[in-house]
Formats: sequence, structure tokens, C-alpha cells
Amino acid sequence: MDLLDFARGPALQVALGIFVLGVTWRLMSLLLLPRLRDKSVPKKGTLAAPLAAVWEVIRRTWPDKVFARQTMVWHVNGFVFHFGLAIVILFFAPHIAFFRDLLGISWPALPNNAIYAVGALTVAALVISLIRRFANPVQRLLSGADDYFSWLVTFLPVITGLLANSHLVARYETLLAIHILCVAAFLIWLPFGKLMHTFYVFIARGQTGAHLARRGAQL
Amino acid sequence: MSDSNTLGELFARRGVSRRVFMKYAAYTASLMALPPAMTTAMAQGLANARRQSVIWLSFQECTGCTESITRSFSPTLEELIFDFISLDYHHTLQAASGHAAEEARLAAMAENKGKYIVVVDGSVPIKDGGIYSTIAGISNLQMLQETVADAFAVISVGTCAAFGGIPYANPNPTGAVPISQIVTDKPVINISGCPPIAEAMTGTISYVLSFGAIPELDHLGRPLAFFGETIHDRCYRRPFYERGMLAKGFDDEGARKGWCLFELGCKGPITYNACATQKWNGGTSFPIQSGHGCLGCSEPGFWDKGSFYKPLSAGIGDVGQYIAGAAAAGVALGAASAAIARRRKNKAMREG
Amino acid sequence: MKLESIPVHVTGSATGMAGAILTEIAELLEQLADNNMSGAIDLRGLPMTEEDRIRLEDRLGRGEVSARLDVAGMSEVWETSYPGVWWIRHRGGDGQIAAEEIAVTQIPDILVSPEEDVRAAAVRINAELYSTETSASEEEASHV
Repeated sequence: MDLLDFARGPALQVALGIFVLGVTWRLMSLLLLPRLRDKSVPKKGTLAAPLAAVWEVIRRTWPDKVFARQTMVWHVNGFVFHFGLAIVILFFAPHIAFFRDLLGISWPALPNNAIYAVGALTVAALVISLIRRFANPVQRLLSGADDYFSWLVTFLPVITGLLANSHLVARYETLLAIHILCVAAFLIWLPFGKLMHTFYVFIARGQTGAHLARRGAQL
Repeated sequence: MSDSNTLGELFARRGVSRRVFMKYAAYTASLMALPPAMTTAMAQGLANARRQSVIWLSFQECTGCTESITRSFSPTLEELIFDFISLDYHHTLQAASGHAAEEARLAAMAENKGKYIVVVDGSVPIKDGGIYSTIAGISNLQMLQETVADAFAVISVGTCAAFGGIPYANPNPTGAVPISQIVTDKPVINISGCPPIAEAMTGTISYVLSFGAIPELDHLGRPLAFFGETIHDRCYRRPFYERGMLAKGFDDEGARKGWCLFELGCKGPITYNACATQKWNGGTSFPIQSGHGCLGCSEPGFWDKGSFYKPLSAGIGDVGQYIAGAAAAGVALGAASAAIARRRKNKAMREG
Repeated sequence: MKLESIPVHVTGSATGMAGAILTEIAELLEQLADNNMSGAIDLRGLPMTEEDRIRLEDRLGRGEVSARLDVAGMSEVWETSYPGVWWIRHRGGDGQIAAEEIAVTQIPDILVSPEEDVRAAAVRINAELYSTETSASEEEASHV
């Protein structure tokens, strides 16, 4: 069994298994906690809880006027690498083939050179976010091993994917194997660290919205 | 069997001038991407060479490699190889059989000591003392070891000889191994492929004959001239791959328009061979051109890389039931975590 | 079934390769003219479409000299309309093009009578002229 067979075989199986196990575990352990029942009377014009939850998630995608000047650059940078990541993962033809094999569904792809450009932008945005985390004193104070490690396991699949596609540094089969192993590492780590925000962000923001929509404070 | 005359003299006796070497050298040098300037050197090398004694050993093989080398692209031009070499032993092509054939082999070995080339197709089983393949009463292992002892070089043709191939595939009940695992003290050239392209075999033999040297090899012992690039890098359907236009079935719209076969399992990106440039049957076509993805037949272990029809970006193992089990376990763990949390909360509320 | 009637075609339009090769020919021809250095371009190794090859052949045209070689199949050698630029096309026994090159030289090596063959011919002609036994000097000329 060579490196690529290992990466496509046991490594991916174990990684997907741990990913599913970890995500369901952490989601269930949260969702099965006792619910806080708010028995106070909701203020006039309150949206129903589910609607308020959705609205809060949408509202938070853009910084509030008060913070806009300070945070806009970093907010946009975050958009670039999140959307970049989504575009590269979801619209590169070989990735779509991966999803089709796993889930049975398929959709149209974007041309490779477009994906490559987006991938390069994603790498740039990721590097900028790392520099910011390190250079800004407040962020450096707040950042721990989880933050840096989560950054690393997100960065590696993108950079190895770009290297593989441009046939640089090593033979293609080696680069492909390394890329798949980096994706496996990402999948294994995701449920257990800061990367879990992938699922938590919607629950947390939604919960805040549902709770505080009925209160007097106007958000 | 062996001849003290040079090839030039042999052909002259037949009324063929040395131009035949120039033409053959031009053809071979072109195939191997040698600079045109080397043509003259190769032609002279050939003309001054003596008929090369070649002993072809066939072990755990299907004879496909012999079929490939005898299906000449350019009959006449390709057949010249059989004039340049003296094929002193070959199960399928020789007239002799039985004891006479074995005696011919031993005589060739003695007469050309240190100068003959051994071509091997098929792997060699070594389990249980090598009893799973025997010829003339001795195991393949024994025949290989005794024949290569005084050889100048060994050429393993076909993926079976080069990397183990079909017999080596899971579970490998006979303990088949590649030739290079047994022959460690002589130069071994691997010309893999299932079967290999005829020109890859003849071109390499011609090179060794003309220059008396081994051509440049890659990390798996294959001549770079034929195995230096992947199928993907020379595939004429590459523009479709680059545009993300992949066929999704063997008879869908994409397949009929000749789109890339990545999603149908093509192993072109990880397979090193000359199929996309040399092609087969005189440059007629190759698997991808005929609508089927590359199997990766010139790579080690190609039978054990999962389905031929799963794309390279997909996992090999079956994940379905695995995932279901993992999800169930996750739910159970989550419920347990939540139960513990609730108990702690109730305890705190009671105490507080 | 003939090769041409198999309905598997790889078609392509011109890629501009002809122009690139012409530039290289010009350079080689200059080398030949100034320094008497011969050169060659192997056409088979280049990614040319059929259209490219036709364009190149048309552009170079044909000069005064052309030769047919009957050795291990048919080969054609002709001087293009540019003296010193020769086109060499080798065909195998079945008529397929086996190798093709453009040689920039005063005379392609393959047209020159090989030394050893000339020496052997000198011996042979003398033997035939002065020998009384005609059968001994006849060789079986079987073209390979």
C-alpha cells in the first residue's frame, strides 16, 4: 500500500468516521442540555423565536455601524477566505466527484483556472489573518494553541491543493496523497476545537437572537 | 546462434546497405526523444554491434508482453529488432521444445558469458520454495537465478515482472515478487505496462544494443524516455479537465462529446507511460481516446487501488455503514454528556 | 479494415506551431551558412496537429531535388524551396509514417553512400568483372 492508497483508504475512512462521530457528539451534547424557559411577557412586535434566530444570524454577517470603521477590513478578509474556501471546495470538478461518490449528488463545476485564482486569494487572506492574529497585541493575548492549530489544519489543505494542481515541489501522486492527508487532519480536528464554529455559529447566534428578541434591549 | 560478424556485415550479405541502420536509428531516436545528433552515433553503434544474444524467460505471465512486441507498429522497421538480436530462448517463438530448448538456453549462456541480456516477463513466486511455477522441473526462482548469473543486464517487461502485477495482487497466494526483488547485483530495467507499448520494449533494447549502456531511468527503474510523463500531462482531453467538463457516465452527453474521464475513474494523473503520445496499434488510439479511463496499468499495485471506476479524488473504502455507526455513536456520547451535565446541574441546584 | 476507415479521429485546427518551427529553421540555416554547422528538428516529438504539418510542408515547398529510399519500407527525402533545408519522411512497411525530421545540412547523412558499403561494392564489382564464375558472385538480394 503506497501513501496515496493509504490516504484514499484507511486515512479518509477514519477521518470521516471521527468527523461524523465528533460533530454529532458535540451537537447532541449541546442540544440535549436543559432548555431555559423564559416565562416573561415578550415585548410588542417580537418575532417568533425561529424567525428571530434566523434574523440574528443574518444581521451578524455584517458589522454594526458602531464597529464598522475598526473591523471592516478584517471582516472583509474573513469573507474572502470563507467564501474562497467554499468556492474551491464546492466547485472544483474533482471535489464534486468526491461528493458525488460520497453523497450521490452532483452539480456543475467552475473552470480550473478560476478555482486556482480563488484558491490563491484564499491563501492570501488566510496568511493575512494569521499575521493580524500575531501582530495585534489584543489578538495575540487572546490567542492560544487551539487558534493556531485550527489555522494550520485549515491552511494546509488549501496550499497543498494548489501545489498538487500546479505540479510543483514533488511528483503528483505524492502531492495528492499529502493533500488528502491534510484534509483528513482537518476533518479529525474540526469537531474538537475552534473549528466547530462551523456548526456552533448558527446555533449560538440563533439562540442569542431568539432570547433577546423578546427583551427590551433593541439590538 | 551467436555470430562473429557485425550487424553491418550481416545485412550487407543480404544486400541491405547501412542506410537501414540510419533509418532505424532515426526512428528509435525520435521515439526516445534523443537529440537528432545521436542518430548517427546510434546507427554506427548498431552497425558495429554483434548480434545481441537475448534470453527471454517467461514466468507467471499471460504472454501479453510477447503479443505486444510482435504486433509490430511498422512491420519491417519493427521486425528489425529480431534481426539485431539473437533470440536464443523464448517459449512462444522458439521452434525447439523440451530438453532441446533448455540445452539451447544453457549453450547461449555459456557462449555469451557476461554479454547476454535476459528479458523476463511474468513475476516469480517464492512461497513454499517457489513450487507454484516450475519449468523443466525447476522452479522459476532457480531458473532466474541461474540464468542471470552471467548476464550483462536484465530487462523486466510488463508490470508482472517489473512490479508483481496480476499474481502479486491481493491476496497473492503464490508469494509472487517482482524480478528486481530477486536480482540485486545486475542492472535491471523495468518496462512496465499491461502490456507495455511495443516501442518501449524495442526502443530500450535498441538503445542498450547501440550504446552498450542503460538509458536514464526513473525512481522505479523505468526508462525516462517512455515513462517520464504522466498520461494526464499529454492527454488530448486535458482542455476539458481544465474547464471542469467531466463525463459522468459512459453514455452521457459528456462522454459522447469526448469530455475528460476523471470522474469515471481515469488514473491518468498518477500513471507514467507513453500511451497518450505513442498510442497503440500504430498510433490509432489509446484507452482514453476510445472512451475508457486509464487503469494505471504501468504503476505498482494497480490492481489494489480500489475500483477502476472510482475517481482519484474519492475514497477507496466503503464509508456508508461506517458513517452511520459513527453518527449513532456520536448521538449516544452526546446524550451521555448531556445527561451528566443535567445531573450536575440538578445536584448544584439542590445543594445551592 | 483499413486504418483510415476506423471512425476514431483526432482532429484539430492549426496551433501556430508551423511558424515557431520556421523560426528555428531560419536560425539553423544561418548557422549552416555562417559556420557550416548542420542541425535537425525532429517533427515527431513536437505537439503538432495534422493542420500544422500541412501548413509547414506547404510553406517550405519543394525544391529541385527529391529522392525515394527503399529500405525497411519507403522513405522520402526532398530539398525544400530553401536550399539546405531538407524534409526526411520515413515510412514503415505498412506505409505509416514512422519518423519525420527536417535536416538543415548540405546533404542528409542518409543519402550519402556509406563508406563500408562503397568498399564492399568496389570489391564486388571487381570480382564480377574479372570472375569467370557468374553464379558465385550473385548475392541473394532480399530487401528487408
